[in-house]
Amino acid sequence: MARVKRGTTSHARHKKVLKLAKGYRGRANNCYRIALERVEKALQYAYRDRRARKRDFRGLWIQRINAGARRHGLTYSRFMHGMKLAGVGLDRKILADLAVREPASFAKLCDRARSAVEKAA
Amino acid sequence: MKTYVAKPADVERAWRVIDAEDMVLGRMAVEIADILRGKHKPTFSPHVDCGDFVIVVNAEKVHLTGNKRDGETFYWHTGWHGGVKGRTLGERLDGKHPERVVVKAVERMITRNPLGRQVMRKLKVYAGPDHPHEAQKPEPLDLAARNRKNKRAA
Repeated sequence: MARVKRGTTSHARHKKVLKLAKGYRGRANNCYRIALERVEKALQYAYRDRRARKRDFRGLWIQRINAGARRHGLTYSRFMHGMKLAGVGLDRKILADLAVREPASFAKLCDRARSAVEKAA
Repeated sequence: MKTYVAKPADVERAWRVIDAEDMVLGRMAVEIADILRGKHKPTFSPHVDCGDFVIVVNAEKVHLTGNKRDGETFYWHTGWHGGVKGRTLGERLDGKHPERVVVKAVERMITRNPLGRQVMRKLKVYAGPDHPHEAQKPEPLDLAARNRKNKRAA
């Protein structure tokens, strides 16, 4: 059997980790042992934050809808209550986008929300 | 569809003037902080400074509720032994720089980081009734009309 010298596989493994550590601060981008720690932690953060991203964006849409609704004398909570009463099934992503890109349609929605709340009261 | 993300270049900034006379300090500071950060715009993006400029005049005539004039103290430390010093809110308002009371109240509502410092640079506070920003054509902003608790007679 041919003689096997060590080093090739571990070199490949080190290279793989260091490639993922490009652009990191300090020694974390060129020392294997430190880079390994940072890469493992980075992958954990990436996994967690792919889930957190969905919550973060929902929060941002709510802030934008609130800002849009307040321009028409409503608060976020009254506006969403009105949407439900008026049977408008648009989700927060679309509503926030309307507030940004189509202020005229969003104003119409605010009118509908207001009249729906007044009718129910 | 991608959610809209504001770029620093497309933010349009308006100028607003607030008359602080008889306005309740903390309530006014909340409104100012929101405008400086841009939370009143549907295009708000948390990582970009989207806010408007705010000019506050008559900052020396701001209203403090309850016992805050004598009971609320601003402390700092000189670095020497026993170097803790303090001024009550009343002393600061009657002192040389009454406008710093309003600045501090807003500053403490804004995050302490580079973005927060950038946001704070848009706040201009003057103790008296005049300001040098007429060229920017600031629009007056009536906070008293937003909530009856915002303004109190002295």
